[in-house]
Amino acid sequence: MAGGAREVLTLQLGHFAGFVGAHWWNQQDAALCAPSEAAAPPAELCPDVLYRAGRTPHGRETYTPRLILMDLKGSLSSLKQEGGLYGDAQLDAAIAWQGKLTTHKEELCPKNPYLQDLRSAEGVLSSDESSVRVWSDFLRVHLHPRSICMIHKYNHDGEAGRLEAFGQGESILKEPRYLEELEDRLHFYVEECDFLQGFQILCDLHNGFSGVGAKATELLQDEYSGRGIITWGLLPGPYSLREPQKNVFRLLNTAFGLVHMSAHSSLVCPLSLGRSLGLRPEPPVTFPHLQYDATLPFHCAAVLATTLDTVTVPYRLRSSPVSMAHLADLLNFSGKKVVTAAATIPFPLVPGQSLPDALVQLGGPAAWTPLSACGGPCGTRCFALSVVLRGLDGARHTSRLAPGTALPSPLHACTTGEDVLAQYLQQQEPRVRSSAHLLLAPCNVVPPYPRLFSPSLSQHGLVLDGSPPGAAVESIPVLGALCSSSTLSQTLGDLARDLSTLDVRRWASFLDAGVEQADVEEALEELGSLAQCYRGGDSLTD
Amino acid sequence: MAAIKAVNCKAEVARAQAALAVNICAARGLQDVLRTNLGPKGTMKMLVSGAGDIKLTKDGNVLLHEMQIQHPTASLIAKVATAQDDITGDGTTSNVLIIGELLKQADLYISESVVDSVLAVRRPGYPIDLFMVEIMEMKHQSETDTKEVSSGFFYKTAEEKEKLVKAERKFIEDRVQKIIDLKDRVCAQSNKGFVVINQKGIDPFSLDALAKHGIVALRRAKRRNMERLSLACGGMAVNCLDDLTVDCLGHAGLVHECALGEEKFTFIEACVNPRSVTLLVKGPNKHTLTQIKDAIRDGLRAIKNAIEDGVALVTSHKFYVFSQNGTREVFTATGCVVPGAGAVEVAIAEALVNYKHRIKGRARLGVQAFADALLIIPKVLAQNSGFELQETLVKVQTEHSESKQPVGIDLDTGEPMVAADAGVWDNYCVKKQLLHSCTVIATNILLVDEIMRAGWHIWGSASTYLSICIL
Repeated sequence: MAGGAREVLTLQLGHFAGFVGAHWWNQQDAALCAPSEAAAPPAELCPDVLYRAGRTPHGRETYTPRLILMDLKGSLSSLKQEGGLYGDAQLDAAIAWQGKLTTHKEELCPKNPYLQDLRSAEGVLSSDESSVRVWSDFLRVHLHPRSICMIHKYNHDGEAGRLEAFGQGESILKEPRYLEELEDRLHFYVEECDFLQGFQILCDLHNGFSGVGAKATELLQDEYSGRGIITWGLLPGPYSLREPQKNVFRLLNTAFGLVHMSAHSSLVCPLSLGRSLGLRPEPPVTFPHLQYDATLPFHCAAVLATTLDTVTVPYRLRSSPVSMAHLADLLNFSGKKVVTAAATIPFPLVPGQSLPDALVQLGGPAAWTPLSACGGPCGTRCFALSVVLRGLDGARHTSRLAPGTALPSPLHACTTGEDVLAQYLQQQEPRVRSSAHLLLAPCNVVPPYPRLFSPSLSQHGLVLDGSPPGAAVESIPVLGALCSSSTLSQTLGDLARDLSTLDVRRWASFLDAGVEQADVEEALEELGSLAQCYRGGDSLTD
Repeated sequence: MAAIKAVNCKAEVARAQAALAVNICAARGLQDVLRTNLGPKGTMKMLVSGAGDIKLTKDGNVLLHEMQIQHPTASLIAKVATAQDDITGDGTTSNVLIIGELLKQADLYISESVVDSVLAVRRPGYPIDLFMVEIMEMKHQSETDTKEVSSGFFYKTAEEKEKLVKAERKFIEDRVQKIIDLKDRVCAQSNKGFVVINQKGIDPFSLDALAKHGIVALRRAKRRNMERLSLACGGMAVNCLDDLTVDCLGHAGLVHECALGEEKFTFIEACVNPRSVTLLVKGPNKHTLTQIKDAIRDGLRAIKNAIEDGVALVTSHKFYVFSQNGTREVFTATGCVVPGAGAVEVAIAEALVNYKHRIKGRARLGVQAFADALLIIPKVLAQNSGFELQETLVKVQTEHSESKQPVGIDLDTGEPMVAADAGVWDNYCVKKQLLHSCTVIATNILLVDEIMRAGWHIWGSASTYLSICIL
């Protein structure tokens, strides 16, 4: 372990979580492999927070994500369950049976070119998006053999045996077999950590994995009290009214998931490109300079992964990091465990423009794209904010007006980038507890990241006036924010309202899975009280 | 049931005969997959995934879990069969085979509609109670020998402190000092070692301080191991350092550590009167380890079954079982094991055939069907060993009716043998559970009157099946 790295263990629960995770690890990998110029400062982010150094039985050194993921039978496709790094072909072939043996071979899946041979994958440009079916199809990173935990009880696709309901997910982690598997893997990673700061959990909210997440966070809170637990609840694609059962289950699973996970986590943040958590579908959010297909998990996950790569910066910094627990403390006082995320992807910057000018031009949080299936990020009242802006050249952090020129705004008077950002937040959301971080390193969007960006962006994500440059966008500046605000009162309130209008007895299979009518009523109540916490603007004192 | 058609005219409805045919087909499909598993001469299956992952198994339960079963009837049978494994630890393959056979037999009689006769058979003699048997942890002696670390005393705490703020630092240093003081007191003038096992974390500075005083510290012990350590070494886990006294300490003859790649194993050996034990499985690769662990688990459950049922059957052939108070005893009463190698099925089949003469009407056919279905077990055992089905079965049945003893198949020779004498046994509770559940599921499947397939576009695919029991 590198001295003093505050380790974080990542959990990915579910298939869409796998998509977001795959993009996330690809981005971390791109940052690790980025060629550094001679004069570049040491990396601002410490990779040992997320990665672990190891060694194969043959003595080869490895550097793999500190990751445990759970997914269903049939979801791995071409990825071996124990990964490719630690295997030994000769040993693997040894068979301990002397009687009759028949071999049943599944059809070989077309292999992921990135994992076959990392060197030869350099030539592979953008992946063929239509060929991406599962997250392992575009994962660039080798995983540790202890990372993948398959749930054999349920099928990934097909008609029968799906993991659809919250209760089913909870039961999985009540079974001794899966509980033991999870505990063993946790133990393996945690035992070697010197300064474990906490867990970041990516969890599907729309299906039975919300139950798995609920039980997992409960387990972590029990066993590792005092560590930070940040849960990202993920919702893929648009909802369709043509699939009523799927839609209703999504609502139920989301409601139950949020309620349970907020009880056991330090922070919960729903992440979605839809506009609402409720039953009625709304068109997905849009970004200037970014076009994506909301029906493709490959695209949605990429956008959410970039957001995560930005807002999680505070606890990954090499110098003066803000630990997970402290970040959570900033945002979750008075039981407001649910936060929303917002981002500008990319942060609109014209070449040569200074940060103060860019911020003035951008405007306030209303210009940030909300990414938690809620309305605007800050609503009528904001309680706490953590903002990260990354990818700005150091020379642009402050304004370089000639002395004697009139200052267009207080931002232009600040002497450091952090001050500019802090001042900006004070202006936009006065009297709000906020924390601002500025990072030089941009977000990587090299393939296999999908090509989502408008042709008017430069190679480094700057907005160009003239003709398109022709070169693909490789990195972008991003502004990401985590907010605790009164908009959640509306969002959670709407969720509760939709839930209350539902006659759950009509959806008997949801109740069969282990949830009772009384549980539904309890969840409704908890949602209501959670929504109440965020009521702002009337009698609450500052 | 044309109601669904009124709502959705595209719904397909398969009625009566067709419904039964669909269901029987599914059951027989499963039977074909699993039949070669049965018995010691069964075929091991090597499953190779699309990605190259390997799994070796002959266990019906494991195989059913690996399969992605889409057909609803097959899925139902699989669920019931694997539930059997949860309860008794064995019998999945037999379950599937018998269900398949029962349905096949019913099929033969279906034109004479004797479905209700099969139902009639189920009532007498087979009670409905389900066992709630816990799955046991592995509990055997560990083996291997390596070097180092002398014998010693233990103590365990279950508390943690990992913050590095200076005030905390001093606090931690004080506590570490307490441990060091205790060690000095206890181990002075001896070459005994001192080991601390913590359920929570220990920061590197403390580890270092302890190491300088010759104390081995283990952090993040698994919770279940904390309990087992007390059972193995004596001593008691304490929640707080202030509760720590010499009386809490346990003892072991030898503690040593061994590193294998990234895994570190700590061996705690030579414990006096251990009541918790670990079985160490070594193998060259994951699928071998899984295969062996599965086999061990099954074996353990079989023994647990035998013990829990109270008394044990012992023969001159060295089969011993521990009774509940832990001593070895020899009993002659049967209770928990029955002769294996197909003997039970042959015996029941003969008894049923005799019994049927006392029944009137169509129920008689049902009894015959049931008897014939049970015989699938000895038949498949013989087949898997390479012997001719019918010939072997006839030999065994003849031997049984002549000698009046439970007679099974010797899988090496294909000849009848007295299973008890050869030391081949099955758990009584497994057989009992098997008979009950296969009857129930076969009954339910046979009662299916209609299968409806409605186009509710779930998960983007075309349809889902609905089976309705019309009672």
